[in-house]
Amino acid sequence: MKYKDYYATLGVPIDADLDQIKKAYRKLARTHHPDMSKAADAESRFKEVAEAYATLKDPEKRAAYDELGRHPAGEEFSPPPQWQRDAASDVPSFDEADLADFLARMGRGHMGGYAHEPRSRRGRDYEAAIQISLEDALSGKTVNLSLNEGHDTKTLEVTIPPGVAQGQKLRLRGKGAKGHNGGENGDLYLHITLAPHPVFRTDGHDLYFDLALAPWEAALGKDIQVPTLDGAVMLTVPAGTQTGRKLRLRGRGLQDGKGGRGHLYAVVHIAMPATLTARERELYTQLSQVSTFNPRASATKEQNHASHAT
Amino acid sequence: MHPMPPDMNWLDSREAVSLVELSTACGISSDDLVELIDYGALTPMPMQSERFSAHYIVQLRTVSRLRVDFDLDIFTAALFMKYLDRIEELEEELRSLKARSITTGQ
Repeated sequence: MKYKDYYATLGVPIDADLDQIKKAYRKLARTHHPDMSKAADAESRFKEVAEAYATLKDPEKRAAYDELGRHPAGEEFSPPPQWQRDAASDVPSFDEADLADFLARMGRGHMGGYAHEPRSRRGRDYEAAIQISLEDALSGKTVNLSLNEGHDTKTLEVTIPPGVAQGQKLRLRGKGAKGHNGGENGDLYLHITLAPHPVFRTDGHDLYFDLALAPWEAALGKDIQVPTLDGAVMLTVPAGTQTGRKLRLRGRGLQDGKGGRGHLYAVVHIAMPATLTARERELYTQLSQVSTFNPRASATKEQNHASHAT
Repeated sequence: MHPMPPDMNWLDSREAVSLVELSTACGISSDDLVELIDYGALTPMPMQSERFSAHYIVQLRTVSRLRVDFDLDIFTAALFMKYLDRIEELEEELRSLKARSITTGQ
């Protein structure tokens, strides 16, 4: 078994008290925690630090560790015979075993010379993430998940029901690691994200897309064919539609998992032709001469109010 | 409507769980969960004092992990929960604003 220098890992002297150990751990945890650090080795560094702390904060484990004496880190050493006897039933190969496994077992009452019945233990939970398309979110999808179980990878077929939204979390009971000695199986926690769609954006179970209108279409109104996840449908654009208006297609969003569906919204923006033909320019000129519409009327009014106020 | 398989749960407000189930799923003792209720970090479903929205499972699993990783006490974990709530709300709001805004032709 390889020796690990837990005091050096935390950077504390061997006679450090619990407060010093805790403080040193928290500082290192803050630096190396994978949520805080972007470094490639953050996770492994954090694990080392957490392993050292798990032993040194516990007086019983710390005493057992101290009994091993001091060795250079990484040096092969032979643990006390009592450890080997206690471990015989649980650890298949003592030489390959990790120091942390033995010390962790102490906390579960496995060591210290007491006879024990095999305790039932719940299996570990699994966490998995998957990305699916909006179409699959609408209709549901059967996927094969690859899960790491120790050194093995197992594949699990999961049917994702319709009704998922962006960031949806699901729990599959009993699909985690197997329980020990009659303990329950763990659960599988599945985090689902929706792949970006070229047309639609999601907000909960509602969908949004951009609908470009020519100025005359917005002014006069028009029936326009628009995309939905169920295929194209006709949408009536009312006369006088403004940029930013949201036109709703009821029940054309995602399944809400409660038997209904969200809505689909067309977000209008009025597009101008980049260049005008001579005839178009002539018609716009005519329009500008006859129209009494002032798009800045309300802004002008507000400005007048403001200037009166000062 | 497609029926939800019996061994599958939505982890959001569509489902409710008991305190004991919350404790098993998150690795936080019932006593600590009661303390989180006292601190206002965990609120029972309206009209159901013994049931909690299943969205807490996700949040409490994160808090439970951070609690172990940083060796935090339960009061600090309660503060964490409030901030996680706020982050979740803001992310939701941001996603909603992005979905509703025009992205082309501007």
